[in-house]
Amino acid sequence: MSGATGLDIRLPIGALFTVLGLLLTGYGLATAGNAEQYARSLSVNLNLWWGLVLLAFGLLFLWLGTRTRGKASAHPATDTAEGSKTESREHELGLER
Amino acid sequence: MPSTPVTHLALIDYVIMAVYFVAVLGVGWGLRRLTRTSTDFFLSGRSLAPWITGLAFISANLGAQEVIGMGASGAKYGIFTSHFYWVGAIPAMVFVGLFMMPFYYGSRARSVPEYLRLRFDEKTRTLNAVSFAVMTVFSSGVSMYAMGKLLNLLLGWSFDASILVSALIVLFYVLLGGLTSAIYNEVLQFFLIVFGFAPLVGLGMRAVGGWQGLSARLAEVATARNLPATAYTHAWTNLADASRNPVGVEWFGLVMGLGFVLSFGYWCTDFLVVQRAMAAESMTAARRTPLIAAVPKMLFPFLVILPGMIALVLTTGSAGGAGQGLVPAKLAADGRPLLDSAGRVLLDYDLATPMMLVHLFPSGMLGLGLTALLASFMSGMAGNVTAFNTVWTYDIYQSHIRRGASDAHYLWMGRVATVGGIVLAVAAAYVAGAFNNIMDLLQLVFAFVNAPLFATFALGMFWRRTTGHGAFLGLLSGTAAAAVHHGLTLPAGMRAGVKGGYLGLVHVFPSELAQTFWTAIVAWVTCFVVTIVVSVVTRPRDPEELRGLVYSLTPRPSDHALSWVARPWVLGVVVLVLTLALNLVFF
Repeated sequence: MSGATGLDIRLPIGALFTVLGLLLTGYGLATAGNAEQYARSLSVNLNLWWGLVLLAFGLLFLWLGTRTRGKASAHPATDTAEGSKTESREHELGLER
Repeated sequence: MPSTPVTHLALIDYVIMAVYFVAVLGVGWGLRRLTRTSTDFFLSGRSLAPWITGLAFISANLGAQEVIGMGASGAKYGIFTSHFYWVGAIPAMVFVGLFMMPFYYGSRARSVPEYLRLRFDEKTRTLNAVSFAVMTVFSSGVSMYAMGKLLNLLLGWSFDASILVSALIVLFYVLLGGLTSAIYNEVLQFFLIVFGFAPLVGLGMRAVGGWQGLSARLAEVATARNLPATAYTHAWTNLADASRNPVGVEWFGLVMGLGFVLSFGYWCTDFLVVQRAMAAESMTAARRTPLIAAVPKMLFPFLVILPGMIALVLTTGSAGGAGQGLVPAKLAADGRPLLDSAGRVLLDYDLATPMMLVHLFPSGMLGLGLTALLASFMSGMAGNVTAFNTVWTYDIYQSHIRRGASDAHYLWMGRVATVGGIVLAVAAAYVAGAFNNIMDLLQLVFAFVNAPLFATFALGMFWRRTTGHGAFLGLLSGTAAAAVHHGLTLPAGMRAGVKGGYLGLVHVFPSELAQTFWTAIVAWVTCFVVTIVVSVVTRPRDPEELRGLVYSLTPRPSDHALSWVARPWVLGVVVLVLTLALNLVFF
């Protein structure tokens, strides 16, 4: 049993960036007319545009995570021949305990 | 402590930070039921996909010191800083993936010190484990101290609260989900750092008129400092002569000291990064881990060095007072700028990147940028903590304090060590604040201990005749040689003391970096020679016992089953060619 079989990391990443994207986009829209606020970012409404980028990235990861749910992450770890060999030697040497 | 912070945050900035905190805590919470055995806790059950371990590999190294420090170097040395990536990281990352991972992963060692136990003996393992454990705690403490101070200066946050809150968050998620939790959050933090800093670079480049505008402005700075006009924008052109570049290093010291000894010593032997590869799901995945990590690593100079370079020449807004561009001057206790021996203002380069964030990002994006900074800090800290608890539990506790206990007991010990490690790191942060010199001294000692490491591993893995006595004595004499070399030399313009020269003065280096590189070279060569000499006169181990641990006695991992694009060496070659191309572009 391992950690990877329980939670697909793409889902929390997707969720985080979707929320951050929505927050920034919303804030960018709300402050769109405020020239003073965006003077420092060379008059670019960075919140709006970068918020949209984050949103797109977040949705992409959510989609990837749900699309392969239970498929990609469910296979067990594969062992190589040399790995098993050294694992049994580790056992003989008593390194496990 | 300054009374007026540089900037104030809006509500939206705090909301963004809060969302990030919820996400990292949520990941730990989501993994709480999946940590049942010590292998789950310390090695993620060896079950993670290579893109995950690869991004964690790079993210664990991408601590706040990296983000802040490389920005500072960018402002101080210009594009030369890219050598820490293109010379000082990529070749070693390719090497560890292609040639060393078969032994780390294939031997089923659970930590780097444990590999030394399997290959050599108990004393070599213990030497490495103890120095590594102490080092992770202190470096974690030093970066915590730097972060607390920075947040206090920028935002006026309480030093104590900043440290305590971030330590508790890291504690919570590592305790619940072990290494998996740390790695998952490192992946999350990786993306956050990229998305937080990329717009800063874009905006900054726009403000200075692109690479051409930046080059032109940096040429003026270089000329004003009596350096060739290309000193800050060309990585190799001025390296023939140490006096013609801002770092005071010549190419041989750079390539051998940084590119070979220090870089291979860190990327190929440091458990903090190797642990991520050990958590991979298969041998191929473990070998691909550092290779996948090398791709973003190759591009990081643009993300972390450029902001510093831009900060030096950006004139919109003002850093106030005697600084240059956005980089403020270092202030004495009475508020006046500090001057160097030539009467020039000393700049506080560590503030280069943070000042860029504060001056270019509007509310909202500022929250994202600061969250990225916090993320880099936490990923570095969690990396240290997870490496510490593993080495403590397996290599110190299990082998010296309590053998033969149940797996549940070691899992419990791992959790205790997590708490203990974080408590010690917080304590170290306060020690760093109170006694700056002690910290400088400790970091010096760690540098001495680390410098010879790669000689031991290279001989151990590729020369089967190497013995445990050889490795142990080689390491000790390499460390001693580093101390002696450092004690007999000084960087130009420094007084004898923590900077060197405490045993007398034989040679003066043009800069501190040059001294560091040559100290490493001396340590490495000494360790290499002593290990060989002692190995030859001591009794070798039975080759049968070394199967899977030494190159000539281990079957090559076969890649035939993989399609050719997925083969590790193909990826390795691609990474090296691209790195070479980057060096040529910025030659």
